[in-house]
This record gives sequence, C-alpha cells and structure tokens, in this order.
Amino acid sequence: MIGYYISLALRSLRSTPILSGLMIAAIAVGVGASMTVLTLNYTISQNALEHKDDVLFAVQLDSWDINEAADATNEIPWQLTYRDAQALLRSDIPTRQVAMHRFGFTVELENSSIRPYTASTRVTTRDFFSLFDVPFIYGGTWENEADFSPTQDVVLSKSTNDKLFSGENSVGKNITLNGEPYTVVGVIDHWEPAPKVYDLNNSPFASSENLFIPFGQHRKLEIYSWGNTNGWTTGGGEGYEGFLQSESVWVQYWVELSNNEQKAQYENFLTAYINGEKAQGRFERPLKFALSKPSEWLVLNEVLSDDNRVLGWVSLAFLLVCVINAVALLLAKFLRKAPEAGVRRALGASRSAIFIQHLIESAAIGIIGGVVGILIAMMGIGGIRYLAMGQIDTLATMDWVMMVASIGLALIASLLAGFYPAWRISRTNPSIYLKTQ
Amino acid sequence: MLELKPMLSALWRNKISALLIALQLALTLAIISNIVVIVQDRIEKIERPTGIAVEEIIAINFMAIPQDYDMIGAVSADLELLRELPHVKDATVTNQVPISGSGSAGTFYTQPNQEIGGTNSNRYNTEPHFIDTLGLNLVAGRNFTDAEMQFFDPNELKEMPVAVITRQFAEKLYPNQDPIGKPLYDGNSSHPIEIIGVVERHLGAWVSWPNAGNVAFFPAVRNTQDKNYLVRTEPGMRDKVLKTLVEKLSERDPQRVIKTRVLSEYVARSYVRDNLMVKVLTIVAAMLSFIVALGIVGLTIFWINQRAKQIGVRRALGATRANISRYFLLENSLIAGTGITIGSAAALIANHYMVRDYSQPSLTLVPLAICALLVLLVSFTAALTPAIRAANISPATATRSV
Amino acid sequence: MLNMHNIRKSFRTDTIETHALRDFSLEVKEGEFVSVTGPSGSGKTTFLNIAGLLETPTGGQYLLDGEDVSNLNDRQRSHLRNEKIGFIFQGFNLIPDLSLFDNIDVPLRYRGFSAKERRKRIEKVLEQVGLSARAKHLPAQLSGGQQQRIAIARALAGEPRFLLADEPTGNLDSLMARQVMELLEFINEWGTTIVMVTHDPELARRAHRNIQIVDGQVCDLRTVTEQAEAATA
Repeated sequence: MIGYYISLALRSLRSTPILSGLMIAAIAVGVGASMTVLTLNYTISQNALEHKDDVLFAVQLDSWDINEAADATNEIPWQLTYRDAQALLRSDIPTRQVAMHRFGFTVELENSSIRPYTASTRVTTRDFFSLFDVPFIYGGTWENEADFSPTQDVVLSKSTNDKLFSGENSVGKNITLNGEPYTVVGVIDHWEPAPKVYDLNNSPFASSENLFIPFGQHRKLEIYSWGNTNGWTTGGGEGYEGFLQSESVWVQYWVELSNNEQKAQYENFLTAYINGEKAQGRFERPLKFALSKPSEWLVLNEVLSDDNRVLGWVSLAFLLVCVINAVALLLAKFLRKAPEAGVRRALGASRSAIFIQHLIESAAIGIIGGVVGILIAMMGIGGIRYLAMGQIDTLATMDWVMMVASIGLALIASLLAGFYPAWRISRTNPSIYLKTQ
Repeated sequence: MLELKPMLSALWRNKISALLIALQLALTLAIISNIVVIVQDRIEKIERPTGIAVEEIIAINFMAIPQDYDMIGAVSADLELLRELPHVKDATVTNQVPISGSGSAGTFYTQPNQEIGGTNSNRYNTEPHFIDTLGLNLVAGRNFTDAEMQFFDPNELKEMPVAVITRQFAEKLYPNQDPIGKPLYDGNSSHPIEIIGVVERHLGAWVSWPNAGNVAFFPAVRNTQDKNYLVRTEPGMRDKVLKTLVEKLSERDPQRVIKTRVLSEYVARSYVRDNLMVKVLTIVAAMLSFIVALGIVGLTIFWINQRAKQIGVRRALGATRANISRYFLLENSLIAGTGITIGSAAALIANHYMVRDYSQPSLTLVPLAICALLVLLVSFTAALTPAIRAANISPATATRSV
Repeated sequence: MLNMHNIRKSFRTDTIETHALRDFSLEVKEGEFVSVTGPSGSGKTTFLNIAGLLETPTGGQYLLDGEDVSNLNDRQRSHLRNEKIGFIFQGFNLIPDLSLFDNIDVPLRYRGFSAKERRKRIEKVLEQVGLSARAKHLPAQLSGGQQQRIAIARALAGEPRFLLADEPTGNLDSLMARQVMELLEFINEWGTTIVMVTHDPELARRAHRNIQIVDGQVCDLRTVTEQAEAATA
C-alpha cells in the first residue's frame, strides 16, 4: 500500500508542477539555510577531545591584579605565568601534563632547494602528544630532560615532513631553525582538531602547528610567545630572566587526571601551592583556580559566539516560516484535490487511508526538498567559507551526519506542514464532492 | 467600506489560510526587523573611519634567520631602501600592523604610581615617518624627531620621553583640556611621558576592541627577531610596488623570511565576522521576503480560483473590475495588518532576548515601522497580480452550469 | 439486502435545522433493481449517501446484508463500502489524472488484492464494458458514455453485491443512456442488487420497483406494475 501511496504522491506532484515546485522550494530553502548555519554551528561545537573529556583539564590559576579581575569569562587569567607553569611541572600527581605556547621559527634545510620559510611552532613539554592523542608516523616525542635543558630536538608535522623530506622517515636528520641545528626525533600523522581545543587563544580554526620543540629552551633562545602575553604590572627583574619571573601570563597548561581521587589530590596540591605563594606576597586575590574539561573549556572560551547563536535562531525561525508557508500551500493543493479524495472514499478508502496518502505526499515533498536543501546548504557553506577568508578552512563540509540530519529535518518539517492539511482533507464529507458540479 | 462586513465573514470561513498568511507575515516582520538592526549596527562598525590611507599601504613582515641579527642596523638600511623605491611616498617601521587584529596594548594614567582608574590604549612603537606613511592627520602639537628615538633590547625596560596620541585617547585622559605638554604614565610607572602631538583619529590594531580608537605612538624600535614595515605608495601604485618589494629587500639582505600583504586585506580580515553577519543576514532576509511573497501569490490565486464563480456573479451584478481588484487587495491588507500587529510584538520580544542574551543592538520604533511598511509592501505587491487577474474573470462564469 | 427502519437524518447550520429524511423505512431484497424518484431536495441523495455508508443517519436502524451498520466506525464502514457496494455517479467521477486502468484499480487497491489479481479483474471488467483497448487512456480522451461505462467497470471490479447509481444517465444523450441502462440490467440479471436514483420516468419504469421520496419519506411503495395498472385504471 505504501508503494501505491508513493506512486500517487509523485503523480500528484507532477500534476501541479508550479505549486509542487513552490512547496519544494520553500522546504529546500528553509532546510538549506538552517543546515548551512547548523552545520557551521555543529562543526564549531565539536569537541576533538570528546573521548578524553573526563580526564583532561585546562588549568587556570588566579595570579592576577588585586585591584581588578582578569579579563576572562571566569575572571581567572586564561594562561599561567612561566614560573607557575614550572612549579606545576614539578608535581608528579597528574598522569600527564603539558606546559606550552605558540611560537614561530624560520626553517632552512641544508643542501636543499627549499627557500627559508617561517613555520608555526608549538613550544611544549613532551607529554603533548600522548595527552592529546597525537599519532606518530615515525619516531616519538623527546626525552624528559629536553623539557628542562636546551636540547635541540624537533617533532615535525606530516605536512612539514612531506615538504622537507618528501614524506620519508626523517628521524635523526637535521634541520635549521633560526639558524640553529635541530634533530628530528619524530613525525606526527595528519592531526587537525577543529576547533583547536588545546589552544583557543590563537584563532580556534587555524591549522595546528608545523613544528613542535621541547620546553627547555626559553633561556637559551630568549623565546617570547607568539600568542597572547598579558600582564598587569610592570614590576619585575632585569632582562629575559626578569620576564620569565614576571607576573605576565603566556603559558597554556593541561593535565590528565585519570580519576576523581587523583583530581582531588591535584586540587589539594594547587590549593597548597597558591597558599605557599600567597605567603610570599604573590596571588593577592582570593584563592581561586579552575580545572576545566575540554567541553567546558570550549564553552568558557565562547568558541560558539553570540553571532553564531543569533544565526542559529534566525535560520530556525526562517525554517518555521517556510513550514507555515508549506502548510498554506499544501492546504490549498489538497483542498483542490478534495473531489478525488471524495471518490476514493466512496470506493472504499477509510479516513486514515486518505490521511496517510496525503501525509506521504507531504513527505515526498520533504524528501525532495531535503535533497535540494543539501545542495543549497553545500553552496551556503561554500559561501560562508569564502566570506570567512580562510579563517574556518579546517571546518569540514557536510559530513554524512549532517546529510542525514538535513533529510530528517526536511522530513519533519514537511510532515509537520502536511499534518493539518492531510487531516483536514481526510475529515471532509465525501458526499458533497460526488454530486455533479 | 461597505464591503468590510461580508469580507470579514468570508475571511472567517477561510480563517486557517488567512491565519497562516498573517502568521508568516508576523514572523517575517519579527525576523527582518531584528536582522535590520543587527546589519545596520555592523555596517556602521565596518564603515567607521580608520584614520589612515588603507588603500595605499603595504605591510611587510620579516623574520631574521640568524639568532644574533643586527635588527637596528637592518631597519635603518631597509627604510632607506624602501623610501628610495619608485612610487613609494614613505615607509616606516612598527611593532604592529594597523587593523590587523594583532598588536600591543597598555594601561595609562595621568598621575604617577597609580594602580587603578587607568585608560587602556593600543600602543605603537614606531618612528617619525609614521604620520606620513599612515596618512594620519596631526591636529595639534608636533611629530617626534629622530633625536627622540629609543632603541632597546627586547628585555630592556626603557622609559619613553614623548608620545603622540589620538584625539579620542586625549579626550579620555584630559577631557576638555589641551593635552599638549601634559604627562602620561605607562602603567604604575613614575616616569612622565610628555604628550607632544595629537592626531585626528586612528582605530588601532583591533577593530572589535571596546577601546578601539585609543592609540598612543612612541618613538621606539625594539631589537627583536622580527619586524613590520609599512609602505605608503602613490595612489593606484600599490599593486605595482607590491610586486617588487620582496625581491628588493631580499637583494639587500637574504638572511630573512619576508612576507607582504596589502593593508586592505588586513582590514577585510578584521571585519570578516561582521561582514559575514551582514551578508548572511541580508541573504536570509531577502530569501524570507521572497518565500513569503511566493506563498501569498500562491494562496491568493487559490482563493480567487475558489471564488471564481462568486466573482463572476459580482461582475454580472455590476461590480467593476476595479471593485473586484480592490476587494482582494483590501482583503490582503486586512490579513497583512493582522500579521504586522502580531509581528511587531514578536519583533520586540525577540529583540529583548537578542539584547539580553547575545549582546545585539536594540530595536527602536523607527526601524520597526520601516520594516512593517516593507512587509506590507511585499504582501501588497504579491497580491497585486492575482487581484488584477481576478478582475479579468468574465461575468459569464456566473451563468455556466450549476 | 438493504433494510432501513425509521431512518432520520437532519443537518444543522448555525440558524436552522433541516430534516432530510424522516422516519424513512425501506427494504430492498437481494437481486432487486429498484429505482428511486422524487423532486429536487426531497432527500434522494441523502438516502443514497446513507445507503452507501458515506453518511451516518441521525437515528434509526440500517441493516446491510443482514448486518447492523448504524454503529460501525469509519474503518469498518469503509471496508464494507469497498467490498459490498459499488457506486455510479451522474458526473462519472473518474479521477482525471489516472488512466482508465488505474481508475478501476483504485477500489482494488483498498481491497488489498495482489497485483496479479487486480490485473485479472481489471481486464475482465474492461472487457465486460467493451473498452479493453483503451485501458491506457485518460478519462478526458473518452466520450461521456464511455466514461460512464468505465465508472461502471470500476464499480463492478470489486464484484459488489449492491450497486448504487445516482442519475447514471443524467449527463448522457438518449442513445448512450440506453446503452448504460442495458448494461445495468445485464449486471442485475447476473445477481447484483441495484438501487438507482433517477429523474427519468421511463428509466424508472424499467426497474423492478419504483419508490418515490417526497419530503424525506417514502411516498409510494407499489411495484412498477401496480403503478402501471393504477395509471391505466
């Protein structure tokens, strides 16, 4: 019977091409616009660290100015001072922990035709790869002492290794960074979390870094962060050492705590640390720190901005108008076909048979509208990527989840739109249509 | 208005369809009026004057390869070279590129050794050619001189002798006073920096910063691993100059990686979110009006077909074509009026949440009224063709068989 | 076959209540061919709608084939309509955008027959009405008489025991009307009970029995022959 209803639906759509086209267009445009925005918001709301959401925590310590809270959503500085990061690294409570920041190097390769270029770099402790589940193709991370002494090791991204070594195993080879020789110890596979949850300060949809170097080289290279450095006091010592010991925050810090007990232990450790620093005149604000899961970190950093939310609501309201539009048009179309429904009733169709027949016709409009809607959404996403000037290029286009969601949304929209008209036509008294007009 | 009563009862019989149209118009008004205020707000933001000659400026970023690079020497040699290039008006060195989204800021005070009550400002470390290179308008005081230049190492804390600031920043520091000669304190420092000049306006590095427009320029070059140059070209010559820059600079000193980008691209990138909102919302508003108009056309045609016989009878009984068209247009206006009334309320309610939860601008009555008129116009235009068609129904329709 | 006892049907609008049928009682026996006449607005159509289970009476009892149908729900009534009742209308009521084949297919679909069974039945009835060659045509491509024959074929395809005809010849010229009438008589001879509403006294006389409805009530229950006798007397 369903097959019969479908063939009737398609026949009916063909018999009124303009009206059917209008309804399909209404559903398609509504679904297309909604899915464009929803896909965007869905991708923006992705959590690349979902699988470790319960064990990873971004660390914030309130080392800020006693007179004024830090300019962050939870009023704790986004990043740590270098000295606090170094102090936390000494704790052996976390299973893994990472202190890091963004940087950049000029890259040269001896005896090569490759022109020197600048490469985005992450200066980090060695647990970065295991903590964030970064897969290696060749080699692995550096030794522990490289994070505390100037060892010139480097891990390359896959694209860098492809560029410099044509994708071959480059472990043990040398490259020149800012004029200094570095030894390749590992090459990671393609890895592009979007949004870049591990570092949301520096455009969350930028590509991940090309180079990774150990955390032990600040003093030797006098490294300043290529991300944000925020300070609230000009006080401090002389020279680079003065900067390292200053209250400027510029180090991002993550820990892996495998269970609640470990977490409680770490919280005690942080409380004790802050109290210790308070005794020495630092941390003048009320004791405050935060351990945020990746999912919480994304919300705290407002990756899904107010603008995204506004667009989300606008597109849903737009879809609602399209649905109401389709209700009106379907009502007109079905009522025009009321005589046929009357004949069918006389020939033995029950009310529910008429209802289902018309609901299936609505669903057919929905599915066609959904397919066209996917095309519109793809164009829409292309358009937004173009307008965003490459700032959201790591965002995927529609994946299958969103395609299924589009069809589902179109189907729901059309069934919703068809429900009342189908009900109305199934309730109409057939006898009035059977007399000669 | 004799027709009003029968019209209302006719509408009542088609109440669901009429309600559906009114509801569509209401939602459309609610959406479009909120879109209009947001778009208007963003366009105003994008069109704020930058205070600089955006279309004639090229930004150059270079990064030295060797660790022990003589940056101070390189800068003076490069600037000399750049200023000599054909079609180049001027060039300068700076710690940040204007309107690039990346820069440096500080808190400044009018009294020494303060900790609270300061004013945040974007800060440039640059040199005397910055006024001509950026195309700033010096409205009071003087520019810095070469003698006032400070060269220092990255880790060195150096006190600035003088500063040029924007008028907006000057107003914040010294409201209704002549700022020239007045002191400025960087953070909780006790060292006074003399304000020697005021430029008309400049947005600074960040367009979406709440303090955008507060800018201070200092005569300083810091000996870091990388530097930015700004090059001002003759009008229309920018792209021509751009092609030669990397080559000329590399020729002078190959020990570095050089990148160039025109300033207008930085500006476009800085406003990318706002621009995206404007474009996407405008397209949505246009599509919405179109869909609603199509719906009205479709439904009006359906109604008229349904009532073809009735129209024929009216024509046979002496109604003119104008009477018939007017009837349908009036009917449409009644529905649209209902929709707009509901829509205005919905628009204000929606805007309340937009303001409260998403920090969007508030909707005032004037744009709401304009949008209501617009929606009315769309509805009227959509009904016009079917209404004229209705008038063309022959009176003979009435006399056809039962 | 059909037994109506004290059927009432009233319609209510905002202001007035109209009684279409009042204490309407009628029995039609299996295999009968009954014609129904009466002036406009007398309740003929209401009677037909109730008899055909398209409308429910306000009161009274209706036995169809011995089964009380007064209190059945829509699904059960639709099922009965589909299985036991065939309809023929003055305006043919073919579905314009379905081919003749598909038009006849409609009641069979609701009956739930297999594709093979449906095809067999459609071909059979098309042959009976002599239009096999035009199965793929659309209704608009046929003359009025041919359309009515297709409508009859559609009514017959489900092999109903009871055929309701509402002015089946009203839109046809006399030649075609006669052909349709002959077809109905032929069907009746094969055992199908027929109730036919008509204006045409000549057609009414060809039935076994003629009843007249006036003001929602059966006015005269004499057989046609009795009427004829009365007329000659």
